[in-house]
Amino acid sequence: MKSSENQDQSSNLKALLHRLQGPLIRYAFQITGDLECSRDVVQDTFLQLCSENRASLNGHLEPWLYTVCRNRALDVRRKEGRMNPLTEATGEPSSDSPDPSVSIEQTETLGSALKILETLPASQQEVIRLKFQSELSYKEISQVMGLSVTNVGFLIHTGLKTIRQTMLAQPRANSKVLRRIK
Amino acid sequence: MTLDPNDPRLTAYALGELDETERAAVESELLFSEAARQEVEEIQATAGLLKEEFSSEPGFELSQSQNALIEHRLDSRTTRNSWTTSRGLYAGGALLAAASLFLVVYLNWSQRGTSLENAFEKDRNGKTIGREISTGRVAKELPKPFEVANPRKPPVQQAPRQGSNKRPVGQIAREGQGDAGTQLTVRDQLVSQLQSQAGQLVRKEVVGNTRLAVPMVPPATLRPTAGPGGGGGTAAHSFLQKFLLQDKVSVPQGYDSEELKSSHDKGRYRQNFNTEAYDRLVDNPFLRAIQNPLSTFSIDVDTAAYANLRRFLSSGALPPKDAVRIEEMVNYFAYSYTGPNNSDPFSTQVEVASAPWKPEHRLVKVGLKGRDIAQEKRPPSNLVFLIDVSGSMQPPNKLPLIKRGLPLLIEKLTENDRVAIVVYAGASGLVLPSTTCDHKAKILTALENLEAGGSTNGASGIQLAYDTAVANFIKGGTNRVILATDGDFNVGVTNQGELTRLIEEKAKSGVFLSVLGFGMGNYKDSTLEKLADNGNGNYAYVDSLQEARKVLVEEMGGTLITIAKDVKIQVEFNPALVGAYRLIGYENRILRAEDFNDDTKDAGEIGAGHTVTALYEVVLAGKEGALPGIDVLKYQKPVEASRESKSRELLTVKLRYKEPDGMTSKLMQFPVSDRGAGWAQASRDFKFASAVAALGMILRDSPYKGNATIDSVLELAEAGKGEDKQGYRSEFIDLAKTARGPVEGTKITN
Repeated sequence: MKSSENQDQSSNLKALLHRLQGPLIRYAFQITGDLECSRDVVQDTFLQLCSENRASLNGHLEPWLYTVCRNRALDVRRKEGRMNPLTEATGEPSSDSPDPSVSIEQTETLGSALKILETLPASQQEVIRLKFQSELSYKEISQVMGLSVTNVGFLIHTGLKTIRQTMLAQPRANSKVLRRIK
Repeated sequence: MTLDPNDPRLTAYALGELDETERAAVESELLFSEAARQEVEEIQATAGLLKEEFSSEPGFELSQSQNALIEHRLDSRTTRNSWTTSRGLYAGGALLAAASLFLVVYLNWSQRGTSLENAFEKDRNGKTIGREISTGRVAKELPKPFEVANPRKPPVQQAPRQGSNKRPVGQIAREGQGDAGTQLTVRDQLVSQLQSQAGQLVRKEVVGNTRLAVPMVPPATLRPTAGPGGGGGTAAHSFLQKFLLQDKVSVPQGYDSEELKSSHDKGRYRQNFNTEAYDRLVDNPFLRAIQNPLSTFSIDVDTAAYANLRRFLSSGALPPKDAVRIEEMVNYFAYSYTGPNNSDPFSTQVEVASAPWKPEHRLVKVGLKGRDIAQEKRPPSNLVFLIDVSGSMQPPNKLPLIKRGLPLLIEKLTENDRVAIVVYAGASGLVLPSTTCDHKAKILTALENLEAGGSTNGASGIQLAYDTAVANFIKGGTNRVILATDGDFNVGVTNQGELTRLIEEKAKSGVFLSVLGFGMGNYKDSTLEKLADNGNGNYAYVDSLQEARKVLVEEMGGTLITIAKDVKIQVEFNPALVGAYRLIGYENRILRAEDFNDDTKDAGEIGAGHTVTALYEVVLAGKEGALPGIDVLKYQKPVEASRESKSRELLTVKLRYKEPDGMTSKLMQFPVSDRGAGWAQASRDFKFASAVAALGMILRDSPYKGNATIDSVLELAEAGKGEDKQGYRSEFIDLAKTARGPVEGTKITN
């Protein structure tokens, strides 16, 4: 029956909504720096999906959502004139913990790689998050960000390299990577 | 041939992003490189770590009402449109969906005691998206701010607005490979470029043959493991070593450079300077104000022409006429204009007095002064030095001068700044990845280790340099590629048009360009000036350490920090007062009148503290009859006087500029009237600028030079010298003196 097929599609999309809203909000948050704004951005993104001819999106629905979300978030950021937290995040996360020994401890447990990630240029952070957090392919990322696949590859390559190098410069974090390599 | 650990293909390989053929190629190369294999393992380890850490980040969710709204829209949408468009059958679905819609609304309403619309509105209250949505109208009212919103086109082909600034890496090198699946790396482009050059098989032999010669490896041995982990116990050790030890810089050696042999041959300039390329330059003619009331041009803060002609004059030769660009001579000098006292990026000052070389003419000097930015307030810089290390760069006034000059700049940088070094010859390479300037020793060592040899593939170097700059982009900072070369690109994209397009494309990434021209003999001025003009850049010629100091240290702000871009000047002359006018210099910067208001038309940049000066020679109304090239008009009416034209305004200067990261221009206007001053009463700057312009006209043997002589130039320059703390004006006076010989010499031979 048409109607049951229809319902299937609808429930698929709802599943998509619930699976992707978290990652999309986070993505928008990286751009806007404001959680409420980011929720609105993601809401708008899905509402836009509603008015879209979904047949044309078959096969690249996910990158499409990220693209719309990104554009919307950039739009909001432009209008709000907010600073991009990606670019000013350097050092900020550790400011919560005044005791240096605690912060080193946290660095190891709470994600040393992420701390380093936050010091990278915005474009590198963005590709790395899209690659490893949202698990998009190079090609999908290139669609979302409007870059060439080559450029995406270059940014990821450069970003990962910096993360590794920086980790190696910090002995404690170092041991963690080294453990993994062995 | 070992696989370069810096090759982005390695990362793509480690992450499983390569297609079959690419993967096989990398695997066969991996066989031979222990280092590269470790690299792959490390990449995977880092990736695994990142994934793990990402997964422990807190999650986010939409609010309940937002979810409800979307689900409701999804339901109704599924019913209404997907079926009307695809099958035209919808009755059953519509009923069902209507029922579920009802259910959702009802549930919400009953649970929260409010309507869906209200809940939604409330949720949005206090947020500043600046737009209201109510459920019933959502779909229609949602603005379509993104190109992607067009349902007929798949989003794939549509560059997001912001992202479209960052252009793909290899516009030029990719021939018909724009499609999916084909993953081109920078190095692949390089190889393909090289392969296409008959007789330039430098690396094809190496890279290409390795690939062919290597027997296929069973993929299992090298295929990346799914997650982190894997063997390679020694990896960690050398991983550390690799980054702690300084890599010795190696540069492709030894090809061609015919021109090298003759590059020091001073004497030949007179008879034959053909290997130095200059574009033909014709003096701007006088134009009738009534026919051409608008004069439009792009500013130019380049100084290369002056330094270049200094080289000729001090060697006792007359520079080729086309190498004398008067605006670049005038703008070589800083003038004491006062900077802006408001939020404008620059101030504008106009001065009118008689033209020293033709006292019956008026000379209008338009001066702009960019806002000064103190050294300590300088935004962080992300600099990529793109250094030509081809064979032609060996003479002491080229690469060795670069190696002495750039440290002057590096010394001034702080830990907020980043420097990367890309070299190019037959091939290009990243000699120093972007490094913060607290590691000065590292940067200086990398620079010191550069050696010259090989042919010159400018294009591939430019690509790599821009990629590096984009990868380390500092928002709100200075992002700039600094190209140091003699401009003699002879491999790869050598066609000027293509090179210009490449640069133009790259300029859209928000990375600015500085071109430093070095050397003589095969110096390609025309190429370099075009590169700078099209790449949102500036261009200076460096012939000595002193000049390097001027460009890189004293004028560092102006060279590095762009405070306004696409600065265009349009002057409207009042035909009631102005008979004819002539823009002195700026011949290759003239724009059409309609380009002034066209924000897509590129124009010059102004840097912090920069001064820009333009001179107009104006013939008052009724006195233009005897000018060269101007006939008396037979049919034109005398001036139709508008009310404004009866005013005493001689002209109005209009300026358009964009903020460095802006897309739309701003307009400034200044009406100017003439108080009838003679040049003797004019400011020092006016006198000095006119002395420089007069020397330029003499050197160009311009038909408009009037009664200008070396003596009058000297008199004017002395009168305008002023304090001259840095001695540049005194140097000009000395230069004018040395010009006497060659100038008067030609008169005799002619």
